[in-house]
Amino acid sequence: MKEEILFEIASLSREPLRVKGFRFGQKDSTPSCVIVGPIAGNGINQLWIASRLVNFLRQKELENPSLFKGEILIIPTVNPYSFNMSKAFWPMDNTDIDVMFPGYEQGETTQRIAARLFEKTNNFDYALLLEARKDHSECIPYVKVLDTGDDSAEEARDFGLDFIHSRKPTTHDTVSLSYNWKIWNAKSFTLVSGKKGSLDKGDSRKVFDAIIRFLCKKEIINLPIFECSKGNIITNENIEVIKSGTAGLFDSLVPVGEHVIHGQPIARVYHSLDGSLLQTIIAPCDGIISCRYDYPLIFQNAIAFRIIRLESKI
Amino acid sequence: MIEEVFRVNLPVEEQLTLKRNRFSPIDRDAAGQKRISIVTGIHGDEIEGQYVCFLLAKWLNENPDKIHGIIDIYPAMNPMGVDSITRGFPFYDVDLNRVFPGSTTDFLPAQVANGIVQAVKGSDYAIDIHASNIFLKELPQVRISRSNADELVPLAKKIGIDFIWVHDAVTVLESTFSHTMNTLGTKTLVVEMGVGMRITKAYGQNLSEGILNMMSQVGIINRPLTPQGKTSISTLNSQVHFINSPSAGVFIPSLEHNVIVSKGEKLGEIINPLLGEVKDVLLSPCDGLLFTIREYPVVYEGSLIARILEDRKEI
Repeated sequence: MKEEILFEIASLSREPLRVKGFRFGQKDSTPSCVIVGPIAGNGINQLWIASRLVNFLRQKELENPSLFKGEILIIPTVNPYSFNMSKAFWPMDNTDIDVMFPGYEQGETTQRIAARLFEKTNNFDYALLLEARKDHSECIPYVKVLDTGDDSAEEARDFGLDFIHSRKPTTHDTVSLSYNWKIWNAKSFTLVSGKKGSLDKGDSRKVFDAIIRFLCKKEIINLPIFECSKGNIITNENIEVIKSGTAGLFDSLVPVGEHVIHGQPIARVYHSLDGSLLQTIIAPCDGIISCRYDYPLIFQNAIAFRIIRLESKI
Repeated sequence: MIEEVFRVNLPVEEQLTLKRNRFSPIDRDAAGQKRISIVTGIHGDEIEGQYVCFLLAKWLNENPDKIHGIIDIYPAMNPMGVDSITRGFPFYDVDLNRVFPGSTTDFLPAQVANGIVQAVKGSDYAIDIHASNIFLKELPQVRISRSNADELVPLAKKIGIDFIWVHDAVTVLESTFSHTMNTLGTKTLVVEMGVGMRITKAYGQNLSEGILNMMSQVGIINRPLTPQGKTSISTLNSQVHFINSPSAGVFIPSLEHNVIVSKGEKLGEIINPLLGEVKDVLLSPCDGLLFTIREYPVVYEGSLIARILEDRKEI
């Protein structure tokens, strides 16, 4: 393993922002894969996954370097500054680095960070981004694929996770890292899991295993693995959005990943002052809870759950 | 007339409402009349538009007989943000001006965006007033994407604002209020002026006069035109230079805002307070108008320091 400082950004009063990479296998050998940890400073699950990957692969490389057939670069995080201040975005101006790609070397600070990261990561065969959902929800681990007309969704089955969410890119996606990787011809996948600002070691382990499985399937490393789910490719058409009809204290009755049946109570909303029951949220279909609102106070019309419909043809 | 265009319950004993003040003709049927929407406060820390809304509403209150069309004034599209000096949409921490056109089935900021669109839709014109953020001070300007220039530049000129900046559109700007409304057929101008969290009275007075002039020219009000003190500048054939900080430090400006600078003239210094050293001296790359200057002194490498409009021939 080679530990590198990929680039730095100086600060007035703090240590420089250092973005580190951990490289395994021979540089420029193929197939190659870059794994980028959280861009936002609240992706604790993703930081955990990335750091465990570094630790695991370092052990394996020490044991037997010939296990590595291709090159792997892991960048556990792009944004230590924000992690150290418990902020999601760039501490100075609250801009999201993941809307700055492909970046601009002569531009604003976060554009420069994006440009330097992109320059270091845009020449790999496979590019994986670890991400927490950006909205207020926790979710099951899944692979997000931007559908640009290629076969990435099929290829995402190699992760062995239960669900692959394929969707058309929005205008917002066009400035994201994963989209720009893709248009620069990398096979790009985003692994989404958990809840921002928290650590769920169980779900993180599933993502960790999925990445190892993927690296093996792509013959980048050679390790024994278990086969897992063949993956269900879903689109927005397969997802039922359930909103809270009222605001108040949100009491979820089901965890993410739970199978629910049509008519099953899945949450209750109580008046925040007098405690009266305002609403019982009912599952409108059979399916799996893929996302759940993650805060005990809920807004009226906020999305309380997303359910992957079981009756839909996947 | 105060109208509520969006309402949603908040979790603890409060409702989030979006309000507008609608001014209609008193002596004729409003149906078929032209309609303009004045929108501000999408970014909660940009307060310049509050004063403009006040001045417009004051004039309209005092001159009901001169109203020929419909004027809707929306002072606070992000009410919790405005009342808490928060740029984004509180709790969700997203930029409301990046979730348009919004949706009734998406998260709360998208629902609010959708509520704004539904309320403004059908207007002939809209003006979305922004201040700069807290980091930069801007000369009053209308920003127009190049694809809309033919249609919107003539409208912007009616405001008589200091500067019209025609720029190349970035794809992500398709999720803004102005792009959405222009797509829906409402001619929408974006005004930027001043600095975040502050009100620059002269800018507000000039812009409100300019908007009244514009409304007069399109037949929404009946008022003699007032002279505008400054000349509009187009960037159609000009070049805007961005000056970014080459290093981290504290920016100490050498010039005031809104001045003509010469190529090689000193704009300011980046200093290191710990070492007592000047790290970089920033020079103007061209002759031109200094229309943006950094207001917040602490900078990283890349922080925007200034923007200069080269080529004064068009003024």
